[in-house]
Amino acid sequence: MFVVRRMQRDIVTVSPAASLFEARELMRGHDIHQLPVTGENGKLVGILSNRDLREASLPVRLIHGATEKEADDLLKNTPVEKVMTRKVVTATVDDTLEDAIVLLHDFRVNSLPVVDGEGRVAGIFSRTDALKAFIDVLGVGEISSRLEVVVPDQPGGLARIMTIIKSFHVNVTSVLTTGAPEEGKRAIFFRVATQNVVPLKQAISEAGFRILDPSSFRL
Amino acid sequence: MNRVAFVCHPDYLLHAPPFEHPESPVRLAAILDHLRATGMMDKMVPITPAYAENGDILRVHTPEYLHQLESACRRGDLTLDAEDTYLCGNSYSVALLSAAGAMAGAEAVIAGKARRAFCALRPPGHHADRNTGMGFCLLNNTAIAARYLQARHGVSRILIVDWDVHHGNGTQSIFLEDPSVFFFSIHEHPSFLYPGTGRRWETGKGAGEGTTLNSPMSPGAGDDEYRNAFEQLLRPAVERFRPEIILVSAGFDCHKDDPLADIQVSGEGFRYMTRFVVEMAERHSGGRVVSLLEGGYELKSLTSSVEIHVQELLGT
Repeated sequence: MFVVRRMQRDIVTVSPAASLFEARELMRGHDIHQLPVTGENGKLVGILSNRDLREASLPVRLIHGATEKEADDLLKNTPVEKVMTRKVVTATVDDTLEDAIVLLHDFRVNSLPVVDGEGRVAGIFSRTDALKAFIDVLGVGEISSRLEVVVPDQPGGLARIMTIIKSFHVNVTSVLTTGAPEEGKRAIFFRVATQNVVPLKQAISEAGFRILDPSSFRL
Repeated sequence: MNRVAFVCHPDYLLHAPPFEHPESPVRLAAILDHLRATGMMDKMVPITPAYAENGDILRVHTPEYLHQLESACRRGDLTLDAEDTYLCGNSYSVALLSAAGAMAGAEAVIAGKARRAFCALRPPGHHADRNTGMGFCLLNNTAIAARYLQARHGVSRILIVDWDVHHGNGTQSIFLEDPSVFFFSIHEHPSFLYPGTGRRWETGKGAGEGTTLNSPMSPGAGDDEYRNAFEQLLRPAVERFRPEIILVSAGFDCHKDDPLADIQVSGEGFRYMTRFVVEMAERHSGGRVVSLLEGGYELKSLTSSVEIHVQELLGT
């Protein structure tokens, strides 16, 4: 679970001397919302977002009767380095996926340039990439059934359930666990590659675990 | 009373699990016994299908998959995947016969020999995709019948209503880009139940955008919620689409007593859904309804629900 496995490697960058007009065309052409700004040797020197662009053209847009051309001219005459954010929140190529998700959350940014040891941009990891990783981890869209089991919060619970699942020759496509609503318990969510969950549920219940009834989740 | 064809073949009992499994021949035997005992069987016209031509199957499935299925049965494999989709020596030929039954029902209705058909098929079909079986299904009977109607009878607008409690992922995938087949599936929400697909924004692709409609239901939903979905989602869609024939992937596992899922539909819910389909067919499709058995694993609710379903097809 390293960020390099999940980041976009096909990245578009812009130079600090380029105009905002060029930057905007790049963003539009590639349907992206931010551009890492790279100087010599591909080193990261800043980041430019579409919000930076909007704010830069605001002075003209506020003038009554200003034309689209006047706004474009302003963008053409302003270099990227004038409005880019210089202090960039970055991930490194050694960071884990967890690092990257925490960075996105705690620093409230939409994307992280991922830099190597020399400060060069190796890729970009966005909130969308984080969500994609979460979708995969949850097993959404995989042909499977869901099982939710409450176990005592102590070593061995998961192993016992896995042993039961294994005895039915059923593949597990996703496992997640969180603290349960009750003290000293833990809820484990499985996605299992079978339609026939009845005997599985029965065997797990008989082993003394509680299966959560999905109907009980209704608000 | 309407003329209803009853399609079945004694060999459907020969696809039998090599271990304990909910999709067993006992299901069909119980349906046959119940329909005989209640006198429903005598009100229908029996049809015994012949074997299917390979070409009929190949309109839906890949030759590689057919070959794989046939070899697996010949080798004596016990399953196609994990232990979900079991096989026995007869499974390949019974699967072909099950698909043949779907086509025979469609043929009887489109040719006007019967107004409606109930096809008591095994193995079921709606999870089977072009190149693989899964979820107890080997060949997609409903899709094969739909393609048959298009190819042999030039039918240009077919509605499939799938009320099996599991999403009809195979059927959806087969017709995802096909605007001539409208696929509606109502099923327990994919976060809770196999196969984990059929979310409300899965609405078709390319030319078929808008001719797939999914209504995922919360665990615990019952007759009222199903009625709302039929009236608010399906009714306007059918009025716009105006199908020439309606196929039903009739699974009875959304019944409240079925152990495989968490939906609470009652016998009256099946009466309502059947009436709805019949009403829509009378309005747009010359009354043509072909119903094909999918799931339903609790024998008592399965048989009583099938009886109600057949009553409403007959219009008694």
